[in-house]
Amino acid sequence: MAANAQATLTDGRKIPYVIKDNPPRGGMKYTYFAPDKSYVVQFFNNPNVGLDANTRARLEAITGRYNPTLPEDQGGARGNDQKLADYFSQSFCWPSAIVESPELGIVCPAYPSNFFFNPKSSSQLNLEGKDKKSNWFTSRNRRYLDKSELGNFQMMMKMSILLARSIRRMHQAGLAHSDLSSNNVLIDPKSGRCVVIDIDSLVVPGLFPPEVVGTRGYIAPEVLKTMELSYNNSDKKLPSTYTDLHALPVLIYEYLFFRHPLLGPKIYSAQSAEQDDFLALGEKATFIENPRDQSNRPKGLSPTIKDLGPILERLFIRAFVDGLHCPDLRPTAMEWERGLVQTWDLLYACPNPYCEQKWFVLYDEKKPVCPFCKTTVRNSEILRFKLKSESRGCPGQWLNVNELVVHHNTPLFKWHIFSNVFADEKADRTMQAYVCKHNGQWLLVNQNVNGMLSPSGNSVPAGQAILLKDGVVFRASREDRGMLVQVSLAKV
Amino acid sequence: MADFGRRLPVYLLLDCSGSMSGEPIEAVKQGVKALLSDLRGDPQALETAYLSVITFDSTARQVIPLTELMQFKEPELNAGGATALGGALKLLSECIKKEVRKSTESQKGDWRPLVFLLTDGEPTDNWQEPARELKESKPANIIACAAGANADTRVLKQITESVVVMNTVSAGDLAQFFAWVSGSIKMSSKSLDAKPGGAIELPPPPQGFVIVP
Repeated sequence: MAANAQATLTDGRKIPYVIKDNPPRGGMKYTYFAPDKSYVVQFFNNPNVGLDANTRARLEAITGRYNPTLPEDQGGARGNDQKLADYFSQSFCWPSAIVESPELGIVCPAYPSNFFFNPKSSSQLNLEGKDKKSNWFTSRNRRYLDKSELGNFQMMMKMSILLARSIRRMHQAGLAHSDLSSNNVLIDPKSGRCVVIDIDSLVVPGLFPPEVVGTRGYIAPEVLKTMELSYNNSDKKLPSTYTDLHALPVLIYEYLFFRHPLLGPKIYSAQSAEQDDFLALGEKATFIENPRDQSNRPKGLSPTIKDLGPILERLFIRAFVDGLHCPDLRPTAMEWERGLVQTWDLLYACPNPYCEQKWFVLYDEKKPVCPFCKTTVRNSEILRFKLKSESRGCPGQWLNVNELVVHHNTPLFKWHIFSNVFADEKADRTMQAYVCKHNGQWLLVNQNVNGMLSPSGNSVPAGQAILLKDGVVFRASREDRGMLVQVSLAKV
Repeated sequence: MADFGRRLPVYLLLDCSGSMSGEPIEAVKQGVKALLSDLRGDPQALETAYLSVITFDSTARQVIPLTELMQFKEPELNAGGATALGGALKLLSECIKKEVRKSTESQKGDWRPLVFLLTDGEPTDNWQEPARELKESKPANIIACAAGANADTRVLKQITESVVVMNTVSAGDLAQFFAWVSGSIKMSSKSLDAKPGGAIELPPPPQGFVIVP
């Protein structure tokens, strides 16, 4: 049975939606669709939540002054312009309006169609129209999906960057998601996109936090450990940006390895599965790759965080060893975003055409082995750029800031040319130069860079190229903050 | 999440006595079919839930042993005979003992089983003893549903605290019941977290269903 209904929004607009029996229901809300499915209208399972003044204040803040998907001049987040609003509209399914009648609820845009399975997504299951919750892809369930849905390591890295960026954007405004989980981030490994959903229970600065329980596997250990305490007990740990900084690396770890970082073979309690799990994810949680405590490490674990290169390895150790039970030691979302972007530049195409992951992090040119299919790179040239930036304190001194593994057709962007540009949502994404192999020689072709200099110091205008040989050094741009590039070419 | 084999065992105890024949038993078949298809579409349920069906008429039988969802084949259900609820409860205890892995010092045990019991009439065998045993040993979270006016909720209350009543044994109500079972399993497979030993959380029962206090 379906019936047409109308929701009245705060500004008096009336929008249609379709009431159906047994609407999709989550832990907090249930959902009705617009007649054309372009948006959804959601109401609370517990109607008292809607009567609560805190809920209303929170929803007003979220749909308005904290909304990164709306330009500031239309009531959205401070400093937000149309371009940034469009950018974050891709990454968040952010509530757009409050429903006043028939009862308090919210309007959200529908997810883009690539976050729904189609009839070809699985030959064994009927998944058509189901949303792509991430643990379809990161658990044993992968085996039921068509290969075309699974993406590869490069796409998983891309998704990880986008997710870290989305969470960084929230945290930058002081917002905490508070229930970040595989159910609340939809992913499309095929295109490397992800979208954060269920954004109505955010923790908003200065307002009462929502009573969110969280989702098994993503709740921070300190929250799980103290969840039995009452809300007025000061020892009770509530969801916050710190707990997001546990859930974020759990998701990233799952995207990259298809396993959970805390669920290993260790038995924490023989009393019951529930008690064992409570300790395994809470008070006694142990990272399966903890280098100092191997008690929870599965046999023959491979690949491991070492295979992600030193930057990500260090971040995971900080998140799941140093910071697992010390929330303030966890890396920030910005550190994750930067570490992932830096590691992105080290991706190398696996020479094995049958390798399912297709790409891996080549951080050690002496051991260029794909950690997924174990293929060794042979009879190849590995071309690397060390990017150096001039020290502000000691002009003339150049410090390593980044490293790139480059291939035929690798593009360079502004953040590879200038040390003060970062690859975030504001970055100019037009290609500045590219690497190509021409008649057996490696070239860097300038497309758009002002002030590029050849190794001998001559100007390299747009359209011309630099010959790349082992050991050569050149200025990517002689303009302010332009970086120095040191080339290495290794034969393996 | 790979949980080193930790499963959520789900037992359906279905009354297939003579009074269920006709529309009700057809609706139960449809319900099991819908339940399966719904659970297979939920990644957490698909990964953790294992399903078994125990039917009871004049005797009780485990028609499907505990099976992972992708391997599960819908059982053939026929209605006829009496209501051997006691036999079904006894069989349930045995199946749990046999099929559910216990937590030990060297083994990750299964989650606490979920049991959904559906009956439309009064038991015709000795049910008190097996009911008492289940209520005392509490090997599972049992949710009993009394279907229609002839089911005795006082009997069910002696098996478990969680009893719901649906007013009719109509196809519509049975469909709603199975949708609710599905929702409950999905919810359990996600929130297998906190509060060890605490009451399990289930979605609100469908409209027209009454929780027996």
